[in-house]
Amino acid sequence: MSNQKKRNFQIEAFKHRVVMDPKYADKTWNILEHAIHEIYNHNASGLSFEELYRNAYNMVLHKFGERLYSGLVTTMTAHLKDIANSVETAQGESFLEEINRKWNDHNRALQMIRDILMYMDRTYIPSTHKTPVHELGLNLWRENVIYSSQIRTRLLTILLDFVQRERTGEVIDRGLTRNIIKMLLDLGPSVYAQEFEGPFLRVSAEFYSVESQKFIECCDCGEYLKKAEKRLNEEIDRVNHYLDSRTEKKITNVVEKEMIEDHMLRLINMENSGLVNMLCDDKYEDLGRMYNLFRRVTDGLSKIREVMTSHIRESGKVLVTDPERLKDPVEFVNRLLDEKDKYDKIINLAFNNDKSFQNALNSSFEYFINLNQRSPEYISLFVDDKLRKGLKGVSEDDVEITLDKVMMLFRYLQEKDVFEKYYKQHLAKRLLSGKTVSDDAERSLLVKLKTECGYQFTSKLEGMFMDMKTSEDTMQGFYSSHPELGDGPTLTVQVLTTGSWPTQPSAPCNLPAEVSTLCEKFRSYYLGTHTGRRLSWQTNMGSADIKANFGKGQKHELNVSTYQMCVLMVFNDADRLSYKEIEQATQIPASDLKRCLQSLALVKGRNVLRKEPMSKDVAEDDSFFVNDKFSSKLYKVKIGTIVAQKESEPEKLETRQRVEEDRKPQIEAAIVRIMKSRKCLDHNNLVAEVTKQLQTRFLANPTEVKKRIESLIEREFLERDESDRKFYRYLA
Amino acid sequence: MPRPSKRKAAPSAVVDLSATPAPKKSRTKQTNKADRLFDKYANKSIDSIDPAGIELLCSDLRVPHTDIKILMLAWTMRSEKQGYFSKDEWRRGLKCLGVDTLPKLKKAVIGLDKEVMKSGCFEDFYKFAFQYCLMEAKQRSVDIETICELLNIVLGPQFPTQVNLLMEYLKTQSDYRAINLDQWGSFYRFFREVRFSDLKSYDSSQAWPVVLDSFVDWLRERK
Repeated sequence: MSNQKKRNFQIEAFKHRVVMDPKYADKTWNILEHAIHEIYNHNASGLSFEELYRNAYNMVLHKFGERLYSGLVTTMTAHLKDIANSVETAQGESFLEEINRKWNDHNRALQMIRDILMYMDRTYIPSTHKTPVHELGLNLWRENVIYSSQIRTRLLTILLDFVQRERTGEVIDRGLTRNIIKMLLDLGPSVYAQEFEGPFLRVSAEFYSVESQKFIECCDCGEYLKKAEKRLNEEIDRVNHYLDSRTEKKITNVVEKEMIEDHMLRLINMENSGLVNMLCDDKYEDLGRMYNLFRRVTDGLSKIREVMTSHIRESGKVLVTDPERLKDPVEFVNRLLDEKDKYDKIINLAFNNDKSFQNALNSSFEYFINLNQRSPEYISLFVDDKLRKGLKGVSEDDVEITLDKVMMLFRYLQEKDVFEKYYKQHLAKRLLSGKTVSDDAERSLLVKLKTECGYQFTSKLEGMFMDMKTSEDTMQGFYSSHPELGDGPTLTVQVLTTGSWPTQPSAPCNLPAEVSTLCEKFRSYYLGTHTGRRLSWQTNMGSADIKANFGKGQKHELNVSTYQMCVLMVFNDADRLSYKEIEQATQIPASDLKRCLQSLALVKGRNVLRKEPMSKDVAEDDSFFVNDKFSSKLYKVKIGTIVAQKESEPEKLETRQRVEEDRKPQIEAAIVRIMKSRKCLDHNNLVAEVTKQLQTRFLANPTEVKKRIESLIEREFLERDESDRKFYRYLA
Repeated sequence: MPRPSKRKAAPSAVVDLSATPAPKKSRTKQTNKADRLFDKYANKSIDSIDPAGIELLCSDLRVPHTDIKILMLAWTMRSEKQGYFSKDEWRRGLKCLGVDTLPKLKKAVIGLDKEVMKSGCFEDFYKFAFQYCLMEAKQRSVDIETICELLNIVLGPQFPTQVNLLMEYLKTQSDYRAINLDQWGSFYRFFREVRFSDLKSYDSSQAWPVVLDSFVDWLRERK
C-alpha cells in the first residue's frame, strides 16, 4: 500500500463513561470457584487456563483481591474438610493410603490453583503481607486434615505401630510411610518433630529399655552385643529408608543409651563371657564389636581400657611371681613376649590400633615386669641363649625381629643398670668361650642399645669386642715371632682391658710346667711391645683341650676349664692323690677346687676321675684316682662349662649390692651437677630433678638420694640454708 | 672438695653485761684478779687449767662437771680443747660474764643456762657443744655414745622424754655409728618442731636427715 492517501488518524476520547458491572466481582468469582471445585473433582481438563488466569487477573486489577483471597480460603477449607471426613472414615490399612492419595491430589490441585492465581500471588499478596497461595494451601491442609481431632492421634498411632511391627520382624509398606513422613516434613519445620519424631523417640526409648533388659538377662555378652549392633543397624536403615536424615543421630543416641550405656558395666563384667574372658580367649570379633559399640558412648572406651589394664596387670603380676615360671629364664621371657604379641594382635585386629590402648598396654607391662627384681637378669639370659644357639641358622631379618623384641622388653625395665651388669657378664662368657652364634647379631644388638641409651652404656661393651680382636692379632704376632713353639702346646691368650670386663678376683694357681713356661714366654713377648702394662692371669676363666689316654686304652680329647686342667695334669705323676695333696699341688682356692673335683668325679658320663669314698660331696679327706673305666661314645668330651646360668641366691645378692654401690656415685654426680647449675634448690625439687636425670638407668630411691645429699653436706659440697633448712646451697 | 672443718662457731656477743670499756686501771685490776683466779686452778707446766683443775673449779662452784652450765662456761670461753682452759680462753670467758672473783663467777655460772636461753643464743651454744667433742683435726662426726651423753647434758633439761627416746633409739640401731654436725643440728629443731604425741606433723619427704626418718619410723612402730 503506498502512502498516497494521507489521512490523519484521530483518536477520539470516549464519549461515554465505562461503568463497571456491579456484579462483576461475584460473577468472576463464581467462575473461579467453580473451577476450583472442578479441579478438586479431577475435572480440570475441561477448564481453560487462559480464561481463568484472566479472570483472576482482572479481579485483582479491579481491586477485588480481597474477595478473591477470602474466597479462596473459604473454598479450599471446605474442600479440605470434605477430605478430612473421607479420611476419617477410612478403615484400618487404607487410612494411610487415603491420606497419601488425598495429599497428592491436594498438591496437584494447589499447583493448578496457584498457577491460575499467579498474579494475585505476585502483587496482591506481597503488598498485603498475606500468606502466599502455596503456603496457604499447606497450612490449610495442616489445620483441617492433620490437626483434625480424629486424624491427628490416629495418624501417629498408626505410624508408630508400623515401626513397632517392623521391629518385631514384619514387613511394612515403606514407600507409603516415606510419603507420609515427607508430607509431615513439607508441612512445616516443627510438624515432623511434634507429630512424629518426638513421640517416636520416646516410644523407641521405652522399647529398647525393655528389650535390653530382657536380653541382658538371657544372653551372654557376645550375643547381646550382636543383638545391639543389629538393632542399631536396623534403626539406621529405617532412617535411610523412610525418615528424615536428621533423625538418625537422635535415634542412634537412644539405642546407644538404652542398650549400651545403661548396661556397660554389667556387660564388661559379665561372668564367663565378659571383657576379660574375651581377652583371654582372643575373641577378636566380639572384642571388635564391643569396641565399635562402646566408642559411641561417653566413657565407653575408657571403661574397656580400665578393665583391660587391670587385667593385664593382674595376670602379668601372676606371671612374674609364679615360682614355676621363674625356673627357666628363657621360658619366662618367651612367655612375656607371647603376652605382648597376644595383646598387640588384639589391639590391632579388634581395637583399631587405638593409641590410648597401646599406651595402656605399655604402662601395664612396665608395671608388672618391674615387680620382679630379677627381670633384668632373665632378659639378659634370654638374649644370651639366643646369641649362643637360639639364632643359629635364622635369617637376618628374623634375627632383627627377635632383637627388636628384646629391645622392646628392655625399654620397660626401670633398672637398666642391673641389666647392663648382667649383660656384660654374660657377654664376657660368650666371648671368652667363643660361643656366640653370630658376630653380626651381637653387634646389631649393641648398636640398638647404643641408640637407646647413649654411648656411655655401650662403650665398655665395645671395648670387650675390641679386646677380642686385638688379642687375635697379638696371638698371630706371638707365634710368628716364636716359630719354635709350633710343636708345643698351642696357647691362645685373650688380653682383657681391666676396666671394660666384669671383674672377678682371681687367685693365681699353679699351672702345669709346660703351660707356665709358655705363659711366661707370652708375658715377656707382650710386655716387650706394651711397656708399662701389668698382666695378671685369670685362671678361673680359662679353658684347655687335653688329650687323655685311659687305662683300658681309651683315647679321648677333653675340653676342660683351667682349674680342671691343673688337677688332671697332676695325675700324670701319681695314680692316687688325696684332696689335700691336690690342693697343695695346684693352689686352687678351696671352694673352686671342690666344685672342680665334683665336676670331674661325680658327673655321670664325665667322670674321668674316681673318688673314694663314693659319697655325693667332696670332703677334705677324700682320695682321687684316674677312672680307668671311663667311657664315652664321643671322642671329644666336654667337661668344663662356662655357660651363663641363673645366679644362685648369694650371687644374686652380691650383684645387687654391687649395683647399689655403683649407683651411689651416679646419684652424687647428678646431685652435684644439678646444684652447680641451680646454686640453691629445695629438697623436693632436688630429689625430683635427680630422679628425672637418672631415669634412663634406674629408678632412684628417694631415701638413698637423701643419704647422698647428707654425705655431700658432710663433705662440704653442699650446705643447708640458714634460714630455711629445706633449701640446699652449692658450695663452690 | 675437702675443706678444713670449721671449728669455731661464729662468735656472737652473749652475756656481756658491761658494754662500756672499763678505765685502764680498773681493767688491769680486773684482769689481774681474773689471772689470779686462773692461777689457782691452772697447771703451771702447761699454763692451762687441766681436767683436774676443772674438777676443782667445779667443786668450788658447787656445780657438777657434767652439768650443762660448765659446758656453757666453756662456750663463753670459746674453748677449743675439751678438758682444758687456756689463759686467753679463761680471760675471754670471765670478761664475757663480767666477773673476776670466785663468788661472782659462781653466781654467773648458776644463772648461765637461763641467761643463754633468754638471750636467744642457745643454738649457737648447741652447735658449739658438738664441735667441742671433735677431738681430731679432720674429725667430722662424733660417736654414738658421746652423742647420747651430750644429748643428755645439752637437751635433757629442756626435753627430757624426747631425749630419752632418741637415746634409746640411737643405742639400739645399727645404721649409724656416728653423728655429724648436720644431723646434730637437726635434733634440736626436731624436738622443737615435732610433737611426739602426734607424729603426723612429721613429713619424711621434707629435708629431715635420714636418721630422723628412721627414728620416727621406730617411734611409730613402738606405738
